Amino acid sequence: MRRTTAVCGTVLVALLSAACATSGQSETRQADQNAPAALSFWSTGGDDETAIFQKAADLYKQSHPNVTIKVQTLTWDDAYAKLLAAASSRSGPDILSGGMTWTIQFGARGAMVDLRKHGLDALKAQAQPAQWESAVSPDGSVYGVPLDMSTFALFYRKDLLDQAKVTPPKTWEELVAAIDKLRAAGVRKPYSQDWGNLDWIGYFNYLYQAGGSFYTPDCKPALGTPQAQQALTFWADLYRKHGAPTATVEGSDALDTGTALVVAGNWIAKGIDVNKPELKGKWAMTTLPAGPAGPTTFIGGRAIGVTSFSKYAQIGADFVKFLYSDEAITAIVDEAKKRNLPFIPPRADKVVSASTFTPEQAQVFEASIRTGKAAPGCPGWDESAGDVAKQLQSAILGKADVRTALAEAAKVMERNAG
Amino acid sequence: MANTADMATPAASPLRSALRRYGTSYLMLLPFLALFAGFLLWPLANSLFLSFTRFDGINPAEFTGLDNFRRLAGDARFRHALGNTALYVVASVGLGTLLSLGLALAFNGTSRPHRIMRTLFFLPSVTSSIALMLMWKWVLFPSDVGLANTVVGWFGGHAVAWLATPGLTVPILVLMSVWGGMGYGMVLYVAGLGSIPEEYYEAARIDGASTWQQFRRITLPLLRPVTTYVVVTGLIGAFQVFEAVYIVFRGTNNVGGVLDSGLMIVPYLYDQGFTHFRLGYASAIAWVLFVIIFVLSLVNLRLGRAMKEL
Repeated sequence: MRRTTAVCGTVLVALLSAACATSGQSETRQADQNAPAALSFWSTGGDDETAIFQKAADLYKQSHPNVTIKVQTLTWDDAYAKLLAAASSRSGPDILSGGMTWTIQFGARGAMVDLRKHGLDALKAQAQPAQWESAVSPDGSVYGVPLDMSTFALFYRKDLLDQAKVTPPKTWEELVAAIDKLRAAGVRKPYSQDWGNLDWIGYFNYLYQAGGSFYTPDCKPALGTPQAQQALTFWADLYRKHGAPTATVEGSDALDTGTALVVAGNWIAKGIDVNKPELKGKWAMTTLPAGPAGPTTFIGGRAIGVTSFSKYAQIGADFVKFLYSDEAITAIVDEAKKRNLPFIPPRADKVVSASTFTPEQAQVFEASIRTGKAAPGCPGWDESAGDVAKQLQSAILGKADVRTALAEAAKVMERNAG
Repeated sequence: MANTADMATPAASPLRSALRRYGTSYLMLLPFLALFAGFLLWPLANSLFLSFTRFDGINPAEFTGLDNFRRLAGDARFRHALGNTALYVVASVGLGTLLSLGLALAFNGTSRPHRIMRTLFFLPSVTSSIALMLMWKWVLFPSDVGLANTVVGWFGGHAVAWLATPGLTVPILVLMSVWGGMGYGMVLYVAGLGSIPEEYYEAARIDGASTWQQFRRITLPLLRPVTTYVVVTGLIGAFQVFEAVYIVFRGTNNVGGVLDSGLMIVPYLYDQGFTHFRLGYASAIAWVLFVIIFVLSLVNLRLGRAMKEL
C-alpha cells in the first residue's frame, strides 16, 4: 500500500514537473519565399463559402505558380476552440478568417502577424471606414482586415402590410404606428427580430440611431447618456408593449409563419425565395427605421489575417491583399452567385457593383452600410459583450429598470477596460 | 551453477523472476498504459498545474499561486452557475432515480410488451446526445412551428418562448435529462430486481405483508447497491451537464442563455477557457468541480454503507 502511494506520488510529481515545462514560444522561422509553398487557409463558415474563397486561391496560383493555398472549412460552432488549439500548438493554418474581433483577440496574444509590416494598412483606403476601424486593434495593430460585410434590413410581408394599409416604416414612430395598425387589422405577429434578438447587436442599432454609442471616442463607457436610455426604453418597449417575441425565430421562418415586419441580417434575402417558395412576390425589404439621430445600422462581417506561426507570412499577407483586387472579388462573387450565396465584398465601392444580391436589395444594403457603424474596438469590449447583453435582457424582461441596467453594463465595461 | 549466480545477485532475483513471470503481461498492458498516461494522466497533471497559473493558451503559463481559486470565491457568475447546477443535480438525479425505479417495477417482466417498453425507454441512452439535443431544440422551437407550441395550440394556448423564459430553463434541462437517462437507470433496476430471491416475497406474503410492506421492507433495502450506483453515476453526469446548455440554450452572446438562467459549471468553464482565453481559471473551475463530485460521491457511498449497517 505504502509502495503504491509512493509510486503514485512519484508519477504525479514527474507529470507535474513535466507539465510545468508546458508551452514556450519562439519566432517562426520563415521558409524561402521563392520556393514552392503550400499554405492552409481556415475559413469560418460553410463549405460553399470555402469553395468561393478556393476560387480566389486558384486564381492567385495562376499568377504565383509556386504557391498553393488550400481552403478548409471551420464551422462557426467550433471554429474559435479549434483556432485556440491551433494557436496553442502553433501548428495550425497560415491564414484564418472568423468573426470581426477574433483576429484582434488572437493578435493581442501574439498569434497573428501585424499586417502593417506587409503594407496591408494601405487597404484602409478601400474598406468601409467604420468596419476597418472595428478590425484594427486598440493599439493600432492590424492583425486582420475585413473579408466581407453584413448588415441589417427590415424585411416585410407586402401582402400583410397591404391588408392593414400600412407602408414600410421609415422612422421609429412609424414603426410603432405600423405595429399598432397591423395588430388592429388582425395580424397576430406584427414584428420580430432575428439577428441580435435580446443581444447587444440588436440594441446597437437603436443606440446609434438615438445618437448614443457604447464608448466615447477615448474609450470610456458611454451608456449613462440620455440617448442610451432613450434607445433601451424604445427597444424594451418593442418587446414589452408591442409584443416582439423574446424567443428568436429565424427571419425567413418568421415571415413564413405570418410575421409582418422582421429585423434580420442581409443574408436571409438570398434564401427566402429558394427555401420558402410560397413567399415569392410576397416579401420585400428596406432599411431599418431611423431614430431621432438618423438611420445608423450595425455593420458586421468576417476578418481575415495571417498567423504568427506561419512559415509563409509574406505570401499569406500578399494573398490577403490579393482578395481586395478587382479580379479576386469578381471570381469570388461569380462563384457565390452560382451557389446562391450572400456575399458583400469588403470594399466600399463594390457593395452594389459586385453584389450577389439583386440590384434593389444591394441598394438597400449599400444605404445601410454607407451610414453604418461597426462593433466597438475599445479594450475590454469582447470580455464585456456577454455581460452587457445580460443587463439589456434584464431591462427587457423587467428584472431591472433601464437606468440601472445601463449603469450595471457600464460598470462591467469599466472593469474590463483594465 | 544457477543457484550460485542467484546467490551472487540476491537483490536482482525477485525483479528478474517477476519479469520472467509477468513480463509478457506487462508488455501486453503497455499500449493501454501509454494511452492512459498520454491521454488521462498527462492532461490531468497539466490541468492541475495550470489551475495555479494565468494561461491564455498561447503564451507561456505564468504561476500565480492560489489567485484563480481566490478569484473563484468572489466570482458571482461562478456562484450563479454553482446554484443552477445544484438545483439541476438535485432535481434531475432525484426525479431520474424515482422514475427509473418506477419504470423497472412496471416493466420488469419477460413478456414481449415489457421487453418492447424497456427497449423504447432505453433508446435515448444509446442515441447520440448531440442528436437528442438538436431534437429537443426542434421540439421547443419558438413561435407556433415547434412541436411543443403546436401541442399548446391544440389546447387553445398561446405560443410559449420556451428557450427565452428564464424561469423555464432549469425545469426544461431537468426534463431533458430525466427523459434521456431514466431508461438506463431502469435497466439497472430491472437487473437488481431480478437478483432478489422470490422466496423472500413468498415468506412475506405468508406472514401477511401487504404489497407496500413488501416493497418497503424487501425490495427497497435489497436494491440499495443499485440505487447507490444510479445516484452516484447520476450525480457525476448531472454535474458535468454541457451539451444541453450549449446546444439548446446558447442563443445569444451568452453561453448560459437568457439572463444566464441555464448557466452551469461546465459551460461556464468552457466559456472562460475557450472563449475568453482564461485556461488557468478554467482549470481551477475544473478542479473545484472535481472536489465537489468527489466529496458528494464519497458521502453517498458512506451513507449507503451506513444504512446497510442499520
